Amino acid sequence: MSKITSLADLKKKRDELKGGLDIRVKAIDPDSVVQVKVAMATCGIASGAKTVMEFFLEQLERRNIAAIVTQTGCMGYCYAEPTIEVKLPGQDPVVYGFVDLKRADQIIEKYIKTGELVDGIIPVNYQTIDFKE
Amino acid sequence: MSKYSMHLLVCGGTGCHASESDAIVCNLRDELEAKGLMDTVQVILTGCFGFCEKGPIVKVMPDNTFYVQVKPEDAQTIIEEHVIKGRKVTRLLYQDPVSKEMISDSKHMGFFKKQLRIVLRNCGFINPENIDEYIARDGYQALGKVLSEMTPEQVIKEVRDSGQRGRGGGGFPTGLKWEIASKNKADQKYVVCNADEGDPGAFMDRSVLEGDPHSVLEAMAICGYSIGASHGLIYIRAEYPLAIARLKIAIKQARNMVCWAIRFSAQSTVLILNFAMEQEHLYAVKKQH
Ligand SMILES: Cc1cc2nc3c(=O)[nH]c(=O)nc-3n(C[C@H](O)[C@H](O)[C@H](O)COP(=O)(O)O)c2cc1C
Ligand code: FES
Ligand code: FES
Repeated sequence: MSKITSLADLKKKRDELKGGLDIRVKAIDPDSVVQVKVAMATCGIASGAKTVMEFFLEQLERRNIAAIVTQTGCMGYCYAEPTIEVKLPGQDPVVYGFVDLKRADQIIEKYIKTGELVDGIIPVNYQTIDFKE
Repeated sequence: MSKYSMHLLVCGGTGCHASESDAIVCNLRDELEAKGLMDTVQVILTGCFGFCEKGPIVKVMPDNTFYVQVKPEDAQTIIEEHVIKGRKVTRLLYQDPVSKEMISDSKHMGFFKKQLRIVLRNCGFINPENIDEYIARDGYQALGKVLSEMTPEQVIKEVRDSGQRGRGGGGFPTGLKWEIASKNKADQKYVVCNADEGDPGAFMDRSVLEGDPHSVLEAMAICGYSIGASHGLIYIRAEYPLAIARLKIAIKQARNMVCWAIRFSAQSTVLILNFAMEQEHLYAVKKQH
């Protein structure tokens, strides 16, 4: 453990350590940040979903976009893998198919940064049912 | 920056500890190991979430899923279903007693909905045995500021103006208490932290001590600086073994890392802290203890 010898040191240390809690801080209010879900079922993994997920994790951080990137199960669009769902704060989620790294980059630059839709959207073909027991 | 994409917070407060949360942590780690996910998912033992009646609690971040009454054998399901496939384990969610709805995010539970956590802000959020997490949450910044930028009088005024009152039951104004103590002339002064929470069913002190022990040490050191006390004592009840253990760990870490000498004697339930109080000595560690 390194010794802290001044207030400036302590502040520097804090700033270094802050990132470690980032996931938890964002989780306090997930709807206030960009949420990306990567479908990670067998078909997704086979067509490169892991690389796509790593790309989002890395690039969103590098491009300073507060986001939560998680994996999810099969969304049922096996023909269009890798698929991801992107939810911007206060908006309905949008599902993109055939997401390779090039499209992933476009999604970040256009959709996430400016809200402009990019190719590859899979239209909503289901309704979410809020069931109560 | 951490490479983890998911954090699993397991409650390590007394209630959940008693219902085997340690075994949950072990099983979660074993499962992650077996699935090769140790570098992606971090398991953290925290302090009490405040919902002990439904413990042991496991919280999944970043989607903020709140699992209740988790058993060690549920670890496998949580990893396989939630972590790997992204499907919440519905049967472990909290069921609203009135609407019968399964609630996934604790923010929407009646119990938590109206809470604004101030004193317990870090409880159930950080690992109380890791000073790094406390520092990441601005821990020791107040002490650092007080020591390098404020006079004891300024600190007392600040506390007075804040309206802070004692939390020990009497509600006595803290700033006034510190002012009286600072004016008192003595060869040796002490800051005494009374952690002998005796009222039946009262667990707020215990929660802070177990879940965020560094905050108690930091506050005591600030008090010591403002009243001119170079030593602190924590009297803590033997019925709180987990709080004692966490305090001892915290004291050790604070001594190693934040450099004012803190000394404690471990043989009894009285922990003795020793802050090096003079400005020029504040950051120079004294090795002797
Ligand atoms: C309602 C009430 C309950 C208290 N309970 C305890 C207790 O359980 N154990 C104890 O040692 N002291 C207890 N005390 C004494 C306080 O801890 C003590 O007065 C302390 O100095 C209060 O400091 P504070 O006002 O700065 O919080 C209690 C006092 C009051 C008024
Ligand atoms: S001890 Fe786990 S919620 Fe209180
Ligand atoms: S209300 Fe009477 S002692 Fe608290």
